[in-house]
Amino acid sequence: MHDYGFLIPLLLGLWAYISIIAQLTGLWWAEALISGALTGLIVGDVNLGLQIGATLTLMSLGMWTYGGATMPDFNTGAIIGTAIGALGSGLEGGLAIAIPTSILMTQLDVLARATTTVFIHGADKHLEKGNLKGITKMHLLGQIPWGLSRGIPVFLAVWLGAGPIQKVIEWFPEWFMGGMQLAGKVLPALGFALLLNQINVKKYWPFLLVGFALFAYINMPIMGIAMLGLAIAIVYMRLEGGSSNA
Amino acid sequence: MPSTDMEKTTKTKIDKATLKKAMWRDIFTLQWSWNYERMQALGFLWAILPVLQKVYKKGEELKEAMQRHLQFYNTNPVASPLILGASIALEEDKAGQAASSIKVGLMGPLAGIGDTIQAVLFRPIIAVIAASLAMGGSMSGPLLIFLAGILWMAVKVPLFWLGYNKSTGLIGEVAGKGLLDKVTNTATIAGLIVIGGFIPSILSRLTTPLQFARTVTVDGEAVEKVIKVQEVLDGIVPFLIPVLIVGLGYYLIKRKLSPIKVLLILVALSFITNALGIL
Repeated sequence: MHDYGFLIPLLLGLWAYISIIAQLTGLWWAEALISGALTGLIVGDVNLGLQIGATLTLMSLGMWTYGGATMPDFNTGAIIGTAIGALGSGLEGGLAIAIPTSILMTQLDVLARATTTVFIHGADKHLEKGNLKGITKMHLLGQIPWGLSRGIPVFLAVWLGAGPIQKVIEWFPEWFMGGMQLAGKVLPALGFALLLNQINVKKYWPFLLVGFALFAYINMPIMGIAMLGLAIAIVYMRLEGGSSNA
Repeated sequence: MPSTDMEKTTKTKIDKATLKKAMWRDIFTLQWSWNYERMQALGFLWAILPVLQKVYKKGEELKEAMQRHLQFYNTNPVASPLILGASIALEEDKAGQAASSIKVGLMGPLAGIGDTIQAVLFRPIIAVIAASLAMGGSMSGPLLIFLAGILWMAVKVPLFWLGYNKSTGLIGEVAGKGLLDKVTNTATIAGLIVIGGFIPSILSRLTTPLQFARTVTVDGEAVEKVIKVQEVLDGIVPFLIPVLIVGLGYYLIKRKLSPIKVLLILVALSFITNALGIL
C-alpha cells in the first residue's frame, strides 16, 4: 500500500478535530496514546500505534499548558506518525515524522488561540445589543479554530503527504533509522527530566531514591511502589505537621 | 456606577434545574471559546448566564451583570465549577461585586493547585502505567488514560456543590490552614517515589553493547576473556545509563534550555552513540 485514498485521511482528520475539543472539555482524548491506538486501529497496525503513542506520551510527562501556554502537540504527531509509519517504515519512520510534526504544530496552536479572539469580540457586540442567543452562538462557535487547526493538517498530511513522505523515508540510510530507534528509547528521559523540574527535588530528593531502590534492587512492581509511595507520603506529612495538626 | 451590593434586599433562590444547567455548561464547554485575550471568560459567562437571567429581570441590570462576567478569567478547568458555585451563591444575593472578587481571588491559587496535582501527580502516574502497558502491546494502556479522564471530569460535580454551599467561606479555606499546601506536598512525595521507580523500569532498555576482549593467563595458559561493560556497570549501580541520561536532561533544563532544545540534544546524542556503537 502506498497511500490511503480519501476516506481514511478524512476519518483521521475528524478524530483530530474531535479529540482536541474533547480535551478542551476536560476529557483526556487528545492523548498520544489514545490517538495512536485509534489511528493504528483505523490503518490496520494497532501495535505500531501503541508503540508510537507510548513513546510520545512518555516524552510529554512534564509538559503542561500552564495558564494557556503552548506545548508540543504530541496528539497530532501520534496520528500522522502512526499513519505514515504503518506504510512500511514502522516505529523508527513513524517517530521520525511524529516528533517534528508535534513541534511544528505549536505554530498552529498559537494561531488557533489567537483566532478565537474574534468570538469574544463578537460576544461583546451581542452583549451590547442584549442579544443572548448571539452570545451563546459566539461561545459555541469558538471551538471551530481549535478543531480546524488540528483537523486540516492531519487530513492533508495523510491524504496528500503519506505517499510522498513514505517514498522519502525509503531513502533514509540505515544509520538514520538506527539512530531514530535509539532516540525512541532515550526520549522518555526528557519526560522524566521535565517532570522533575516541576517538583521541589532539592527538598524531597531522598524519596526519589526510595522508589529507585525498590525497583532496581527488589524489583517491586510499579503498582506496589505507588501504594508504598502514598503510604510514606501520608505518614511523612503527618509527622512533619504533627503539632499544628488539628 | 450604581453599586449592586447595596441592593441586597431581594434574594433570588435559584431552582435546582437552573443550577445544574449552569454546572453542566461549565463542566463541558468552559474552554470551547478559549482565546488569548480573556481566556475562559466567555465560557464562564455562558455557564452562569441562566442564573443571571433569573436574578436580573431588568435589561440594564442583566447587561451590567453579563459585562462583569465577561472579564478576564482563567483557572484549572477542574477547579472552575468550585468558583462557579461560589459565584452563583453570591449572585443570588445580588452581591455582584463580591462574585467578581471571589472569581479573581480564587482563580489564581486554584489554578496553581489544580495544575500541580494534575500535571505533576495524577496524569504522570496514569500516563506512565498506561505507556508501559501499551509498550507490551496491550489496549488496556489507552483505555486506562480514557478512564482516568472520565474520573477527572467526575470530580467537578461535587466541587460545584461544595462551592455553591460554602460560597465566601471558600476563600478562607483556600488561603488559610495550609490544607492545600499539605495536599500538594503529599502529592509531591508520593509522585517522587513513583518517578524513582519509573525511571529504571521505563528506561531499562538503555544498555550498552560494548565489550572488550582481554587475554589473561590462567595456570600458565593464555585465555581469551570477554568483559561486558554493561555487567561491570551493573556491578556498580544498576540502571546507571538511564539515571545518567535523565540527569543530563534535568541538568540542561535547569540551565534554562527550552524543552525543544533538550529534545534535539537527546536526539543528537542518540544518533552519535548509536553510530559509535556505545548504546
